[in-house]
Amino acid sequence: MVNVTLKVNGETRSATVPPETTLLRLLRDQFNLTGAKLGCDVGDCGACTVIVDGKPVNSCLMLAGQADGREVLTIEGLANADHLHPLQKLFEHFGSLQCGFCGPGVIMSAKALLDENPNPSAQEIRDALGGNLCRCTGYAKMIEAIKGASCILRGEEIPAVKSAFVTE
Amino acid sequence: MKAFEFFSATNSNHAVALLAQHAANGKVKVLAGGTDLLADLKFSVHGPDVVVDISRANDLKNIAVTDQGLSIGALVTHTQIMRSPVIRDMFPALVDAAHTIGAVQTRNLGTLGGNLVTAVPSMDSGPTLMALEAIVTIASPGGRRQVPLSEFFVGPRKTILKPDELLAEIIIPKQNLGKPTHFLKFGLRKGQALALVNVAGSFWVDWEKNTFVAPRIGLGAVAPKVIRASQAEAFLEGRPITPENMAEAGRIAVNDAKPISDFRASAEYRRHLVAVLTKRALEGAWALAQKKRLEGSNGKRHA
Amino acid sequence: MPDKPRVIEKPDVLEKPDILKPPAPAPLVTFPVEVVVPEGRQQTPAVGQRATRADARLHGLGQTKYIDDMYFPNMLFAKIKRAGIASARIKSIDTKEAEAMPGVIAVITGRDIPCNSFGPSLKDQPVLASERVFHAGDGVAAVAAVSEQIAAEAIEKIKVEYEPLTPVLDPLESLKLETPGVHAPSANIYGHKLIKKGDVEKAFAESYRVFEGTFRTQMVEHVPLEPYACIAQWDANGRVTVYSTLGRITLGRADVARTLGIPMSRIRIIATVVGGNFGGKNEIRAEPVMALLSKKTGRPVKCVYTRSEEFTASTTRHPLVMDYKTGVSKQGKILGRKIRLVLDGGAYCSWSETTLGKACILSAGPYNIDNLYAEAFVVYTNKTMTGAMRGFGAPQVCFAYESHMDDIAHALGLDPLEFRLMNAFEEGSISPTGQKLHSVVVKESLLRAAKRFGWNGLGDGNGTGVKA
Repeated sequence: MVNVTLKVNGETRSATVPPETTLLRLLRDQFNLTGAKLGCDVGDCGACTVIVDGKPVNSCLMLAGQADGREVLTIEGLANADHLHPLQKLFEHFGSLQCGFCGPGVIMSAKALLDENPNPSAQEIRDALGGNLCRCTGYAKMIEAIKGASCILRGEEIPAVKSAFVTE
Repeated sequence: MKAFEFFSATNSNHAVALLAQHAANGKVKVLAGGTDLLADLKFSVHGPDVVVDISRANDLKNIAVTDQGLSIGALVTHTQIMRSPVIRDMFPALVDAAHTIGAVQTRNLGTLGGNLVTAVPSMDSGPTLMALEAIVTIASPGGRRQVPLSEFFVGPRKTILKPDELLAEIIIPKQNLGKPTHFLKFGLRKGQALALVNVAGSFWVDWEKNTFVAPRIGLGAVAPKVIRASQAEAFLEGRPITPENMAEAGRIAVNDAKPISDFRASAEYRRHLVAVLTKRALEGAWALAQKKRLEGSNGKRHA
Repeated sequence: MPDKPRVIEKPDVLEKPDILKPPAPAPLVTFPVEVVVPEGRQQTPAVGQRATRADARLHGLGQTKYIDDMYFPNMLFAKIKRAGIASARIKSIDTKEAEAMPGVIAVITGRDIPCNSFGPSLKDQPVLASERVFHAGDGVAAVAAVSEQIAAEAIEKIKVEYEPLTPVLDPLESLKLETPGVHAPSANIYGHKLIKKGDVEKAFAESYRVFEGTFRTQMVEHVPLEPYACIAQWDANGRVTVYSTLGRITLGRADVARTLGIPMSRIRIIATVVGGNFGGKNEIRAEPVMALLSKKTGRPVKCVYTRSEEFTASTTRHPLVMDYKTGVSKQGKILGRKIRLVLDGGAYCSWSETTLGKACILSAGPYNIDNLYAEAFVVYTNKTMTGAMRGFGAPQVCFAYESHMDDIAHALGLDPLEFRLMNAFEEGSISPTGQKLHSVVVKESLLRAAKRFGWNGLGDGNGTGVKA
């Protein structure tokens, strides 16, 4: 068994788990943070994306032991009691989530992108979402929402013609 | 995943000590980025007894120009390569190669050393490093040794690493620093695709005679391991830099390749890709050489 | 390895109607308060309003509970052993070693299933293969254990002895009468449809030219992001509750009742939020197995397919072999068309009959063809079963008839758009099955699209293809 202590969504949490436990299993089974999903278990689909020390990673490809002492942000840590994160707000507004299974991963990838690049182009967003598969919604509405969220985070108005985002 | 014991190394020496300690008693696997290893372990019937996690060995995470050349620590991630100012300046081909690997999440985890140790023939880091005649440093309980990358690979998923050895760094030798190099990959999709064929072309220019100097071509996914197109290189050496010669080198490179047919592509298609991509990689390197010359920076062999 | 440490609050779920209550204590997310709730009796305008999905916020917060996000006290995890062989007779199944493993609570095989056959139309699919294996993804045994990992290790300890049989893999082979039946003594052709209109041979004889082409499509998996999952709980009253990603719960209920041999009134199927369906979650898969494991252990049992199981043990899109023969006049008018479709049904029928019908009806394309002979067969092969998937055969035939149209236009030296406009349905056209069509806008759509993407100098786009 390995002892793991890490900061999850700002809170220090500990667990003792078998060494073969992945970070995803730790978050879901031990900490009951089921926002990150198991989609493929081999790092292809991105449904398990969480942010570790500022970088989005596939939590299914990281052992819990490797996450010891690190800082993890999951989808559950984005909103606070008063406000949704602009990404969550606009994913809802633009209808960017249908079945929603890929959503937490996509939003975490987008969050990491916007942290580094406050004004990404549509191509940069596509690149950032390259590791997140979606089968229902498609990516156009996600790109709109991420563009819109970047406007809000920069304190700007969201342009009225939203399709301009995608075709740029 | 099968149960195993887990040890976390604090630095490379600790890692080697852990390997030495456990390699004698059973199967040991080194965990770096984990993007290949964990995916494998989830499917394998016989897992390792011990996993040594080296992801905290910070002494393997540096990118630096040393007396030997450009040293890249084995744990440097693909994202780090893409963002390193030194690499962006000297070897845009390495940046392009890193960018084609997996996706953001896997590039944040996956390491250059891990990509080489996994030794799949379609690895995207391989062709460029082969073309640049990279050397690898291997750490073991007995000390460190260096071998050319071309000798590091043995076959599909096989390297010369012994169970108690660790890949520590990758060195691009001094004489090749800034050598104009271009990398191209052909996959079935833009994102998250394995290469059907990937190629890196690299050469210095004799600007007076306008000829190829020390041309090197690395080919991936067309043989049991990443290879050099030596016949094509021999053809180019000293020849004038012309579109015809580049195209001919592409055709000759087909003879260097020994591709197989699988569900991704037929051998015939891969041979076709080798010819086209080799030519284009050489064209790309040529464009880079000209650009570097205009900028007055490079394109010429270092003194 | 002992039971995974879990905080279990109270063992009895009947006392806890809030089944979404998680196992760990203390809510970790404080929900944002900005929620617009219409007041009682208030008329909420719909027309002209922007509509958002009712569940979008939960999705975005990561709070939607899919099956794998649910946990019940004392829950067990199940894994199904897959045959891994396309066609074989099962000689023996030895589960002793698996049963002896610490943490393994129950093992079942096909012999434990009260009625081991089901299917949305033909009841040709075993829940767990007991005598014969019909495709590599067939389940042969299932294990319930205290953790998923133990269950996974236990299925490797189950020894199955097979007598390998020659599999039928090619649909055209399967079509031949002399090919051994996949489900012998039943024939391999298990569905047939014929649509006849006019005299196609006469039309060919009168044609300026006759064109032939064969088109094939491949097997396609739905790949829903959420793999198939279900939880079953058999209670002391002999009632079973199943949480399932099923898209058709009423149909699933009938199948579960049949396989378990209990009345439908004793089965409650709860449809959960589904992480993508696309037709791949329209029939039961492991629900009866989980129900029986739950019955045997007295504990809730959960099963989540791995991604590879999703590929090998769930339905896929039918691969089609499509032969087309079309006679045209000198001007480019289609005089007659003869079509033969062979659908590779895989090991079981599933929704093949629906797919067969739709593919056949739509196989001539949206064109006025007075003389038509369209015949479709669906055959068994020892491959992953095929079933419902978006379009039910329509995408496959569309690929064929439009490719065929392009080939003909090219050979006749006609503009592909022109050729289609000459033959396309218009208001009042009669479909291959005799239906009079209304609100037909094929030509308008084609022209408008051509203009949009700049076909042959129309408009200002840069399109490169045309398709009706």
